[in-house]
Amino acid sequence: MSVKYTPVQWNRVKYCYDALLVAGTILFLAVFLPLPPEALGHTRPVDPQITNARAFGACAFVMLSIILMIGPLARLDDRVLPLLYNRRHFGVLTCLVALTHAYFVLNWYFAFSPTDKWAASLSANTSYGQALGFPFETLGIFALLCLLVLAATSHDFWLKFLGAPLWKGLHMLIYPAYAAVVGHIALGALQSQEVTTFAWITAFLSLGVAGLHLAAALQARMSPDPQAHAVPDPAWREVCDVTDLREGFAQIAQLPDGKRVAVFLHEGQISAISNACAHQNGPLGEGRIVNCLVTCPWHGFQYDVRNGQSPAPFTEKIPTYRVRLKGSRVQVDPVANPPGTPVPPVPLSKAARV
Amino acid sequence: MSEKPFFIGYAAVPTALRFVMGLVSALLIGGAAVLGYAIGHAQDDPGDGAFRFDYGRQTVTGVIELTPLPVMHVIEGSEQIAAGDTLMLSGAGKNGALPRAAALDGQMAQASGVLLQRGEIDMLQLRGGRNGLQAAAGDGTTPAPVDLGHWKLAGEICDGKCLAGAMRPGRGISHRACANLCIQGGIPPVFVSTQPVEGEEFLMITGPGFSPLPEAIYDAVALYISAEGQLSRHGDLLVWALEPDTIEVLP
Amino acid sequence: MTGAEIIVEAARIWLWIGAGVAVLFLGFGMAMVDEDADGAFAFRPLLVPGILLIWPLVLWRWGRLAMGSDDWAWRYGPPRAIHMAMAVGLSLAILAFLLGGALVKQSWPADSAPQQLSAPEVSE
Repeated sequence: MSVKYTPVQWNRVKYCYDALLVAGTILFLAVFLPLPPEALGHTRPVDPQITNARAFGACAFVMLSIILMIGPLARLDDRVLPLLYNRRHFGVLTCLVALTHAYFVLNWYFAFSPTDKWAASLSANTSYGQALGFPFETLGIFALLCLLVLAATSHDFWLKFLGAPLWKGLHMLIYPAYAAVVGHIALGALQSQEVTTFAWITAFLSLGVAGLHLAAALQARMSPDPQAHAVPDPAWREVCDVTDLREGFAQIAQLPDGKRVAVFLHEGQISAISNACAHQNGPLGEGRIVNCLVTCPWHGFQYDVRNGQSPAPFTEKIPTYRVRLKGSRVQVDPVANPPGTPVPPVPLSKAARV
Repeated sequence: MSEKPFFIGYAAVPTALRFVMGLVSALLIGGAAVLGYAIGHAQDDPGDGAFRFDYGRQTVTGVIELTPLPVMHVIEGSEQIAAGDTLMLSGAGKNGALPRAAALDGQMAQASGVLLQRGEIDMLQLRGGRNGLQAAAGDGTTPAPVDLGHWKLAGEICDGKCLAGAMRPGRGISHRACANLCIQGGIPPVFVSTQPVEGEEFLMITGPGFSPLPEAIYDAVALYISAEGQLSRHGDLLVWALEPDTIEVLP
Repeated sequence: MTGAEIIVEAARIWLWIGAGVAVLFLGFGMAMVDEDADGAFAFRPLLVPGILLIWPLVLWRWGRLAMGSDDWAWRYGPPRAIHMAMAVGLSLAILAFLLGGALVKQSWPADSAPQQLSAPEVSE
């Protein structure tokens, strides 16, 4: 959570996360790069520039695959949430590794030519009409541009400046980018390889990514957050029964406008806030109340459930909803209050009296 | 409902999650090492082509022939290049030797540079300017080409320089764009035949009737194809005048 | 100019405009639209690559925020419903690339022997 922006808000988990990322990346490259030609059964070594391009390219693909597995895995099992916490650093490192791959390719295959190397990367192969010999480089360039946009807009400033929905929409570029990377490999490197190990690894990782995303999307479709139903009074919607509520936790319901409300029970009182965190629109209703504050399961942003405001000195605010009890039924006004609007919580003990 | 551990990045990690996080960390580190090794180990043999810097600079004299790209029929050899050899010539990088050789067709010239070798294929990368190629005194005539008939061959179109060892590997689809750039730059294209033709596995290629290779060829570079064309021997080099409309991409 | 050279030149111009926008925005624009940025300077260089790449979006957001025409409600509507379409699209694209790539992959036709279609013309 931010008061004034800093380059990175470090903490122990982020240090450990980043150390693990850097160690894994260095280990991958350190194992790949020094393999001597004798160990590979080659008469002469592969050019160092090509070995570098291959090692960094393969490393970036593996990293991107893992990144894309984190999201759906965290939807399927919340024990994976720690991996989500600092995923943006993972993405930035992956972009740097992919950029290094591109650097070696550009300064080897496209260098030493009378044609400018940047133009050559677009003009040397233009067989767009055929699958065999397709300009797979263009797919790589597209993916790299997407990764650059994502990495360059990963700072929290961009989330607040663009707004989380637009930021998230922009970051969905990762899907076409990953598809393009798989195409880049399948129509490029794999076409000229006799040994099939990398082909199998590519298939395994990319199908793993696809399978996990399908599983998470299916799960969301099979057990969606319930709709808040209409009640005779059109100004209100019913979310749940008081018996569904548990101290410190929320019930989530979808409102007619497509947004979600999170109804929390805190110290025996009911409050309703937007389910979307101000930071990255994380699902607040899947978090819990810690030290009297609703805590987002993604990055730990906190809000007072009674007014939707982050505790001072933090400045984040989320919309609140009016809430009431009709018998034992919990109802909300589906029109959100502006972010940070205090709403008096409804004591549970009132339930019997209404 | 049991109390599930709740992770907050800036707070102490719940004990119940520490094991999972340790396991995931070990998996990631182990996976990085295993994948790095597996992918690194699965690289194909790039062939034995190489720049022969170990031979030192080679200076030879011979007759230039434009086919239309320049080759030299060596008359006075060097330590590593025998008289009677036919060398394909190239400039530095992806630059051909034609601009310097154009005026020397059928004449004696001195060529100097570094040799590239792969199997029976030889190419000389010339030094810059006149140091690399200049007219020379002496008598010499272009050996008469020997017609070897019309052939259908299967194999791959490459650029002669990367194939000969300027890049390792210097063929295949990963290298296709580079091969196109080389051929566009005037590097002699070479056909790698699946089986030896008249004793040779590598043939220099030209367009029909020894014209420059047409642009249509670029769509077929680095693919496994069959094609037809007139074959002839120029010195000890086979030259195949490939007819682009006979190209068939093989399965 | 070839098509590729035009694209490269256009990219160069795009980045130069982005550099201009970066100077203006980081210099005095951002403190106007985000109070958390006021007085915070160390992180600003990190924003330069983003502005270079997506400067039209930066200008658009800058304008909206500066004019106060940004509606708060949309900020709390994450695009969750689109994930199914993304997951299906991604899976289909991956399958198409993997299967397509495997189908077109060639094997070296080592058995294909050179064939002499006609003998050399004998010039007597």
